[in-house]
Amino acid sequence: MKINVVQNVLDASDALAVANRKRLDAAGVLALNLMSAPGSGKTTLLQKTIPALAPQHRSAVLVGDLQTTRDAERLGQTGAQVTQINTGRGCHLSPAQVEQGLDGLDLGGVDFVFIENVGNMVCPAAFDLGEHLRVILLSTPEGDDKVAKYPTLFQGAAIVLLTKTDLIDVLGYNLDRVREDLAQLNTRAPLLQLSARTGEGLEAWYQWLRERRAEKA
Amino acid sequence: MHEMSIAEGLIDHVLRTAREAGAVRVEEVVVECGALRGVVPEALQAAFDALAEGTEAQGAAVAVTETPITARCRACNAEFAPTTENFVCPACGRADVEILSGNHILLTSVVCVTESETEGENA
Repeated sequence: MKINVVQNVLDASDALAVANRKRLDAAGVLALNLMSAPGSGKTTLLQKTIPALAPQHRSAVLVGDLQTTRDAERLGQTGAQVTQINTGRGCHLSPAQVEQGLDGLDLGGVDFVFIENVGNMVCPAAFDLGEHLRVILLSTPEGDDKVAKYPTLFQGAAIVLLTKTDLIDVLGYNLDRVREDLAQLNTRAPLLQLSARTGEGLEAWYQWLRERRAEKA
Repeated sequence: MHEMSIAEGLIDHVLRTAREAGAVRVEEVVVECGALRGVVPEALQAAFDALAEGTEAQGAAVAVTETPITARCRACNAEFAPTTENFVCPACGRADVEILSGNHILLTSVVCVTESETEGENA
C-alpha cells in the first residue's frame, strides 16, 4: 500500500532552532553563526574580537569541532565563557547541540554569543541553529573562486569577511572575482577585508557588530 | 554528509507512519527536498540504509525529488525563482531576497507492505 503524507522531516530540528532563538531573545543576546572552511581564521578572529568588544560588551562562545578542545583553550584565554562541542563524526553543528551548549553558559549580562561552526562550507549552511545572523569567512589562501562554488553558504550571509588580506599580493588574489560572484548571490551582505596580522579592517568589523547589537537592543 | 542528519529525521517519520498503518516492511519512501538544502540523493540513501538496518525500513528505496527555490526581492518585492547559483532579481538587478521556499524536506509518501498483504502473497 502507498500512504500519502506531508511531513516535515526536519520538524524536530527546526523546532529546536526556533526554541534556541527564543531563549537567546529572552536573554537579550545577539547570536552569530560563524561559518567557513577549516583554517580560514574563525578562532583567531574571535581571539581578537572578544577583547576588543570587552569594554562595553560581554561575549560567550560555543565552538564546534570534530575533536579536541584546542579552540576552547585558545578562546578561554580571552576571558569569555566558552563551551566546546565535539561533534565526533558530525560535519556541522545541530540545533540540539547548540541547545546543550547554551545549557552550559550563563547568559546573564552576555551581549554576544558567537557560535563557531565546524569548518565546512557545505553542511553547516543547511541547518538553522537558532542564530540571528550568519557571518561567513573566506580566507585568501582558499582561492578567489569559492563564492561561486559554495553559493548557498554565501547567499545566507549577513556579512562576508575576507580574511588574511595581507596575502593578497603574494597570492595574486582576484578580489573583483569575489565581488562579481557575490553580486550574483547576495548584495545585502557587506564584504569586509580583514587581516588579523596587520589589523586591517578589524575596526570596521567591530563597528558592524556594535551596530547590529544596538539594533537588537 | 549532512544527509545523515536529514536521514535521522526521515527514518523517525517513516517508521512512525509505517507502524501506524500496520506495515511489516517499507519498500519505498518519497521525499521532496528544497534545492537550498543541497541534498545529494545517493548520500541520503546511504545514510538512510545505515539507520534502517534491522527495522521495517531495511532495504527501502529513497526517491528524492528536488523542488525549486522561490524568493521575494527585499528591494522591489518582485517574486521570482532563483537558481542555487543566481539570486539576482530579474526586475531590479539586486540580489537581496527573502526565501519563500526551497528549504523544506518533506516526506510525501511511504510505500509499504502490511501483514494482510503478506498473507495474500503467501496464499
